[in-house]
Amino acid sequence: MMLPAVAFLAVFVGWPLVQFVRDSFYAIEPFGGDREFIGLANYSAALASDAFTGAAWRTLVYTVIVVALEFTLGLAVALLFSALGDRSRVFRTIFMYPLMIAPVVAGLLWRFLLIDNFGILNELLRRVGILQSTDQIQWLSNPDIALFSVALPDIWLTTSFITLILFAGLQNVPEELLEAARIDGANYPTILFRIILPLLRPVIAVALIIRGIDAARAFDIILIQTNGGPQGSTETLSLLVYRTLVRFGDPGLASAMGTMYLMGMLLVAVVAVYAIWRPGSDRS
Amino acid sequence: MNGLVVRGKTARTVLWVLLAVVTVLYGFPFVYLLLTSFKTPLETIAVPATVFGSEFTLENYATALGREGVIASFINSTVTAVLSTAISLVLAVPAAYAITRYRTPSGQVFILVALVCRMVPAIVVGVPLVSLFRDLGIADTSLALAIAHATLSLPLSIWLMTSFFDAVPDELDEAAKIDGCSRLGALRRVVLPVVSGGVAVTAIFAFLASWNEFLFSLLLTSVRAQTTPIVIANFQTQFGLDWGSMTALAAVYSIPVVLLTLVLQRHIVAGLTLGAVKG
Repeated sequence: MMLPAVAFLAVFVGWPLVQFVRDSFYAIEPFGGDREFIGLANYSAALASDAFTGAAWRTLVYTVIVVALEFTLGLAVALLFSALGDRSRVFRTIFMYPLMIAPVVAGLLWRFLLIDNFGILNELLRRVGILQSTDQIQWLSNPDIALFSVALPDIWLTTSFITLILFAGLQNVPEELLEAARIDGANYPTILFRIILPLLRPVIAVALIIRGIDAARAFDIILIQTNGGPQGSTETLSLLVYRTLVRFGDPGLASAMGTMYLMGMLLVAVVAVYAIWRPGSDRS
Repeated sequence: MNGLVVRGKTARTVLWVLLAVVTVLYGFPFVYLLLTSFKTPLETIAVPATVFGSEFTLENYATALGREGVIASFINSTVTAVLSTAISLVLAVPAAYAITRYRTPSGQVFILVALVCRMVPAIVVGVPLVSLFRDLGIADTSLALAIAHATLSLPLSIWLMTSFFDAVPDELDEAAKIDGCSRLGALRRVVLPVVSGGVAVTAIFAFLASWNEFLFSLLLTSVRAQTTPIVIANFQTQFGLDWGSMTALAAVYSIPVVLLTLVLQRHIVAGLTLGAVKG
């Protein structure tokens, strides 16, 4: 009964993937289709280009920003919900609504919030006295901070995912353990770092891996806000592969880049599974 | 009740206030989107920006929905999402059932492979899929896009359905078999009704994955099958920066799914947390 699903994924993911990887060993004429086997030349060309190494670095930074902030905020809110108990349910419902919003809408919305002159964020910051003028922080047009700014809608969209998962995990922390720690005089930070977080490790691992992969693949949310600019400061690997493929029409080079991109994600995911999750060692 | 609950009265008041602040901040972007969509086009880009508009108008909605292709894109989005959900469920339910009932190593391997499929960026398989669908004669159709979207939702659907089937004891199937049901009969008549809540959750996620997807839609559709996210993205290039009608269109596209969330809240939480917490 597994067969239809296996066949489906083989035809519509496996086969395209094989073609994609095969293309990475060829020099391919755009639109004409003349192909010539060139071995690993596309790979060395990609690795030698600043565009590729820069985009790989930016993808990593973007993913770390998104996941780190999401995890910190998500955990804080999950602890807040737990501290308030059952009566926080209404808030939990409200809190999860961004999960359902399309990334393209979120990107557009945040671009509107962050825009220099008529954006509401800078206006509100000015009103409370943090900024002198509304163009003081150029969130999306200053290359030094744009990569951080484009990450904001992603963080906004999915912090609730981390919160929900951690909240569910927190409900399973045995009460006796917390009581015992309290009787021994442990304070809240100690309980949090020595008992709760270690117990939640499998849950944290799953949440971080899922979100890490999704953040590393982010495309529309960045495209709609900055289209990779200003000065390429927000061009991540997914945007670079897209541009190389569709705009510059170089499928060979794009395939080599995409293959390394995929391998990198797989590698990080495997390392993450073993480093955080440690299946079989001290799973509770 | 949980040992993490804070009991001190002052502490609880402080925490409630903190929660209220967090909720307002977290809710603000979408509320502002809605408020903006009812402002006049000029007011949406007024300096300084205001939270509340001075007058209430539906002008932006009329402009957005009146543009060529907008209504058609809504129909396309709906058809694609429904088709894609159907494909995903029809494939995931029997696969997940087989994985939990036969417990063969190949089943476990398949779950892993399915998860790896989830990691593949859409840009990697998107372009080969364009030529594959052209060869199949379904280029630029909702069916082709639904298939592409199903590649995204199928791994998650299998993962979720496996968790739901795991919760149903094998004895139930055995009893059905003794009463003369075949394996498939047992699944259809006895097990599926028990996990109908789980099927609903899985369907919601598959639907959302398709409804909100962008890159496959960008690569695989041109005119006929174009979905709303692409239309929203095109608004900014085609018509300059018409923020008013863009916020209106974004609101119209988001409100159904946001309402869906509120109504089905419990089920969605169950689905989101099930796989992860079971580890």
